[in-house]
Amino acid sequence: MNTKLKVSEISKIYPGCVANNKVSLEFGSGKIYALLGENGAGKSTLVKILSGVVKPDEGEVFLNDKSIKLNSPLDAKKNNIGMVFQHFNLFETLSVFENLSIDSDTKDEDLRVLVNDILKKYNFKIDLDIPVLNLSAGQKQKVEIIRCLIGNPKVLIMDEPTSVLTEQETDDLFISLKQFSKDGILIIYITHKLKEVLSLCDEVAVMRKGKVVSVSNTIDEKIESLANKMVGENLNTIKKKFNKFKNSEEILKISNLNFKSDDPYETNLKDLNLSLKKGECLGIAGISGNGQNELFQILSGEIITEGTSIMFRNKEIGKLNPRERREYLMAFSPEDRISQAAVPELKIYENVALNNFKSSNFFEKGLVNEKKIKEHSKKILSNFSVNTDNVELKSQFLSGGNLQKLIIGRELITSPELLVCFNPTWGLDVGAINYIHETLIKINQQGKSSILISTDNDELLKLSDRICVIYKGKLSKIMNADTVTAEKLGILMGGGSID
Amino acid sequence: MIKIEKRNDVSRSIYFLTPVLAIFLTLIGGAIIFYILGFNPIEALKFFFITPISDLYGLSELLVKATPLCLIAIGLSFCFKSNNWNIGAEGQLIFGGIVGGGVALLFYNHDGFYVLPIIILSGALGGMLFAMIPAILKTYFNTNEILVSLMLVYVAKLLLDYLVVGPWSNPEGFNFPETRQFSESARMPILFDGLRIHAGIFITLITVFLSWLILYKTYLGFQIKVSGLSLKTAKYAGFKGKTMIIIVFMISGACAGLAGVGEITGPIGQLHRNISPDYGFTAIIVAFLGRLNPVGIIFASLIVALTYLGAETAQIFLQVPKYTGQVFQGMILFFLLGSDYLLFFKIKFLGLKKNEL
Repeated sequence: MNTKLKVSEISKIYPGCVANNKVSLEFGSGKIYALLGENGAGKSTLVKILSGVVKPDEGEVFLNDKSIKLNSPLDAKKNNIGMVFQHFNLFETLSVFENLSIDSDTKDEDLRVLVNDILKKYNFKIDLDIPVLNLSAGQKQKVEIIRCLIGNPKVLIMDEPTSVLTEQETDDLFISLKQFSKDGILIIYITHKLKEVLSLCDEVAVMRKGKVVSVSNTIDEKIESLANKMVGENLNTIKKKFNKFKNSEEILKISNLNFKSDDPYETNLKDLNLSLKKGECLGIAGISGNGQNELFQILSGEIITEGTSIMFRNKEIGKLNPRERREYLMAFSPEDRISQAAVPELKIYENVALNNFKSSNFFEKGLVNEKKIKEHSKKILSNFSVNTDNVELKSQFLSGGNLQKLIIGRELITSPELLVCFNPTWGLDVGAINYIHETLIKINQQGKSSILISTDNDELLKLSDRICVIYKGKLSKIMNADTVTAEKLGILMGGGSID
Repeated sequence: MIKIEKRNDVSRSIYFLTPVLAIFLTLIGGAIIFYILGFNPIEALKFFFITPISDLYGLSELLVKATPLCLIAIGLSFCFKSNNWNIGAEGQLIFGGIVGGGVALLFYNHDGFYVLPIIILSGALGGMLFAMIPAILKTYFNTNEILVSLMLVYVAKLLLDYLVVGPWSNPEGFNFPETRQFSESARMPILFDGLRIHAGIFITLITVFLSWLILYKTYLGFQIKVSGLSLKTAKYAGFKGKTMIIIVFMISGACAGLAGVGEITGPIGQLHRNISPDYGFTAIIVAFLGRLNPVGIIFASLIVALTYLGAETAQIFLQVPKYTGQVFQGMILFFLLGSDYLLFFKIKFLGLKKNEL
């Protein structure tokens, strides 16, 4: 049985962003296809279109030369297109079998025979009658796969399936996928991990900014060439300014820090070591979901660790919470500016009061000093060119750029020695991005340090003095920014190694 | 196809007007129910809402009922504002009553100006300690405070039952399930001769003022507000989340305990099985009807107190069960939640698109 899947001239436009721009691709059964790209490259949108979750604005999908309409996930199922999402859609408290029978029309007895056949055929070892919550991430994923296999799929789409798996589970998955492919199922494998592409897939399509930039056989590709295509070659032209603080004192040191999370969707951090000098900007690159969130929280004190594991200006701060760390002149600008760094329902001056510590005198003897907070807020609004002077305005009425200026301003007006920021320009327009970049460069020139965790390589190469990459919760070695190229970053971000 | 969208900007005046709308809708709903039962709806509503407060005695009764409701609801507003769901105020009220009542019995036949304050304080302390159980279990063992606080209500009720039947029952009481009458020095002073309104109302008013001060003028209040809006932000700002959970539960428990001790030293004057007609649960409605705002809660407590009185009058004049009061309370909550939903979300009716047919 031969299956041919073709997408033709697919476009999908979201407000402010072209997610898919005339994407055309062809797939045939017997091969495993990789769809490779950074976050926001448009892979997920394409996959959602193929699985009926999102409708394209333009373009068509052909299955075996017949145009098919995919208006809902049910349509995809009818056309034998199976999909395993990154996050599982399982009822934790129901048994494996109950989960499988929920969306199946087959009678329970027949279904059990069918499922047992699948288990035997692919050598899956799962007890069908235990609740799903007792399964490991890898086993849960197998349940999802079995659910697809019940429907006899012609096409199986896997969306970043290894992000929650251990190495061993990943190997197992690859063996299964190769077997499915031999059995004639067309497999589309979405990933940003370069190694996986090379070890698993036969063909690779690279997407960037909503467009397909290359389609090739994986035999012809190397990690470097794929990294270049994924990140884009035009990036290593902008260069960081000269930094005169190269030999200054060390202000932050993290040694042998480990973090193990109870939450399976969080990333564990392993053996973290880094040091930061006065006036320096350390960039931390990586594809999102590799531990940046956890690293930011460890730096900000939202996750508390052992006291000695983090030294800031020769003081142990690992055990301190964010407010206490602010007393030591640290400042933090988190990634989620809309619901974490500020509260949309609060007024500007109330949001300013979030960055509160003893010397700010916002709260004297437990009472609110509204006048002081408002004065302070006015100063932030004017010093950081926020487009309003009304401190009573609810912050939900600020544009993304103005909100970010307010947040950065709030964090910087106290002249902190270290600013940690996480994707500070995410989703902003060019003007605001420039303003934030200039501000970040300025604080380094004033002798203040910064750590920039970002998924935007462009930004990292422009602002950092030294750069390292975080991959699966581990930091690469820290490199001087002038020796780093986009290509090198791409390799490290995809889990490759350079010498 | 129907689409539900969040409204971005909700005007503040409408936000405080929807409770009025909810009450209006409740009246209409009540009229319909009375009509179906075969009464003249206007007459029935008059019996329910006007007759009870048409004399001084009625007004005093209204305040007697509103006093505990307002006090408990104020306490609950601390919890609810910070996303802590204390459903067990009834249990905290009863436990406060038990502790306060126990102390009152201890001071039986004891005179002195210090007796009543000691009883009141021990009642508040009792409620506070009882509320700390769900708070500590939540912070240190990740239990769900809704379940724990709710189940503790039954623990407190059964404990009270045991005490009034067993060890604390009145030696001269012919085995009735009740304690001795407290002595005069252990009773709340009555404000007017012949009326039941007592000094507990001042405790409530002082608590309202203090709550307003704490909620709007202090760092603690600011932390409660931020945590209620976004726990992520509270964590990022470095607020001590666990301490705060315990503090709001303590405040809320103390208020419920005060309400309990106010009841037994005020209108009741002893401990028996039914020291509260579910004030602790009804106060949840009061808190939300008053928009968790101290002033709003005062008005809400008066209105809900009226449903208690109305139910009694209706029972007498219309021969309907007094549980109609709970029907009205239920309707108020129902219409309030309904109008809130429409306040925060808009419903769009979209035509069917061709390709969806």
